[in-house]
Amino acid sequence: MSAPLLEVEDLRVRLRTPRGPAEVVNGLSYTVGRGETVAVVGESGSGKSVSVLALLGLLPARVATVTGSARLDGEDLLTMSPERLREVRGPGVGMVFQDPMTSLNPVLTIGRQLVEGIRAHGEVSKAAAREQAAGLLAEVGLPDPQRALDRYPHELSGGMRQRVVIAIALSNNPALLIADEATTALDVTVQAQILDLVAELQSEHGTGVIWITHDLGVVAGIADRVLVMYGGRCVEDGTVDDVLERPAHPYTRGLLGALPDLAQVGDGELATVPGVPPAPTDLPPGCVFWPRCPVRSDPRCETEQPPLAVVGTSGGTLPHRAATWCEEGSPR
Amino acid sequence: MSVIVFGLVQLVPGDPIRLALGTRFDQETYDALLARSGLDQPLVQQYVTWAGRALTGDLGVSFRSGETVTSLIGERLPATLTLAFASILVALLIAVPLGTLSALRPRSVVDRVATVLSQIGISVPEFWMAIVLILVFAGTLGWLPSGGYVPLTEDPGGWAQRLLLPAVVTGVVSGSVITRFVRSSVLEALGADHVRTAQAKGLPGRQVFTWHVLRNALLPLVTVTGVQLAYLLSGVVVVEIVFAWPGLGQLALQAVQSRDYPVLQGAILLFAVVFLLINLVVDLLYTAIDPRIRR
Repeated sequence: MSAPLLEVEDLRVRLRTPRGPAEVVNGLSYTVGRGETVAVVGESGSGKSVSVLALLGLLPARVATVTGSARLDGEDLLTMSPERLREVRGPGVGMVFQDPMTSLNPVLTIGRQLVEGIRAHGEVSKAAAREQAAGLLAEVGLPDPQRALDRYPHELSGGMRQRVVIAIALSNNPALLIADEATTALDVTVQAQILDLVAELQSEHGTGVIWITHDLGVVAGIADRVLVMYGGRCVEDGTVDDVLERPAHPYTRGLLGALPDLAQVGDGELATVPGVPPAPTDLPPGCVFWPRCPVRSDPRCETEQPPLAVVGTSGGTLPHRAATWCEEGSPR
Repeated sequence: MSVIVFGLVQLVPGDPIRLALGTRFDQETYDALLARSGLDQPLVQQYVTWAGRALTGDLGVSFRSGETVTSLIGERLPATLTLAFASILVALLIAVPLGTLSALRPRSVVDRVATVLSQIGISVPEFWMAIVLILVFAGTLGWLPSGGYVPLTEDPGGWAQRLLLPAVVTGVVSGSVITRFVRSSVLEALGADHVRTAQAKGLPGRQVFTWHVLRNALLPLVTVTGVQLAYLLSGVVVVEIVFAWPGLGQLALQAVQSRDYPVLQGAILLFAVVFLLINLVVDLLYTAIDPRIRR
């Protein structure tokens, strides 16, 4: 296997908060290959967004301390100079943010926001950049792209705006695309269109994709690999089949169990994972999931952090790993 | 609005005719003057007459000097306009850099110093600051004249010298208020999601700041600057008195002292109109700045 596009090793993010230091990401390691889609799933507050914002240096430096390494094509994003990082943002890594209603500047036209991104990475005339921008808008399926260039964000619907945000992220043909809950704010049909669009672009350009979501349906649809995050740690990762079909961590099982079955009509109560994720200012000493875990089969659960260990490689060459003291097949 | 202006002025105690005549007068002269000024008419009648004339641009005649109110105001207007615009310039020159710096480094030394300075600027009385500045720059140092006004066309150097101190006093006060607004609006703009999008595009920091932070922080700034300008245009009475600045504030004060109803009414009406005009301009600027308001 050739060197992966992105290699994240022992990523840790600590935020200064009024309630003391918060360990938001705690030793996250993963890789993304060219043309591969890695889905990162987990509840709100599990550190998904922070872990990718940290990669691009988009966390406020005053409050965030980021350690570890994240090599994009062998070059560490976390230690590079601010100027080099600026060059990488765009052509190296494109990012799509969660909320299309707020991630575009309301007082600048769509065209301007696209053109400035294109012109920040190369000598392109305004007219040529504008042509390119119109092409991108057409590519993401915006009707009448020439006219859309002169529109302001508020003149477009949420779905259309998210297409614009995606067009901006793609405008410099990034090697890696990070989509942070990119479709969460959209309705399901628009979401499907956008997923198709990204898959199409990915197969054309060989882009690596990190897709952050808490929608397991989306994961099953687009991802090659899944990484389940909880309490700022990776608690389970592996191929989509391994993780979704043979979940090894009690938390992953809880997530999958919480999916409502649409075929089942009636007054059945929705299954949930009881409790809330631990506050990053106050993580439990043992397994991060222990306070909510329905199994707790091992005495070490409460006191000792389980390592991420291989639980099987049934899906193919990639290992299926989970951080739990639970034996595989132990009772749910 | 004109009713309020008229009514308020009528509430000012004292008899203008008595004041005009001095301590010794006879009843005949008093009656004659009263009849000529129209003050013997019922209030409603007086109001209708005044409002009717005001509509045609005739604000009446000063009890005191006999000049028309419009010409009195016309004489004073250039001085007030000059001071107001100079002050707002000083205010913006202070507030925009200081507020922006504070917002960029919240809770830093710069921010704390700026907060303390603007607090001082807001709370120190204008007359005190004016007197201190006069003592220092006109008295001890002797660099600037202590007051007065020369039209720009007659003596540009003297005009600028005499404008500087009063403009600084009112500019510091307005600037202190505006600094607070700039700080909070830049801070808010900095935290907006779209700023992160701009950074993620790989834009140079300066470009992100100018077009995605400052550009968006401009909207609240326009509003507060408009309010401050309206306040300055309606005559900063205290500063005009201390610096012997022949503006509208001074005129209004003199009119109050001599119960010169027509002048006072005219001045107040003008302030109200100025306030409305500035609000109109602010609204128009808004549509120019914010596409969301445009149709």
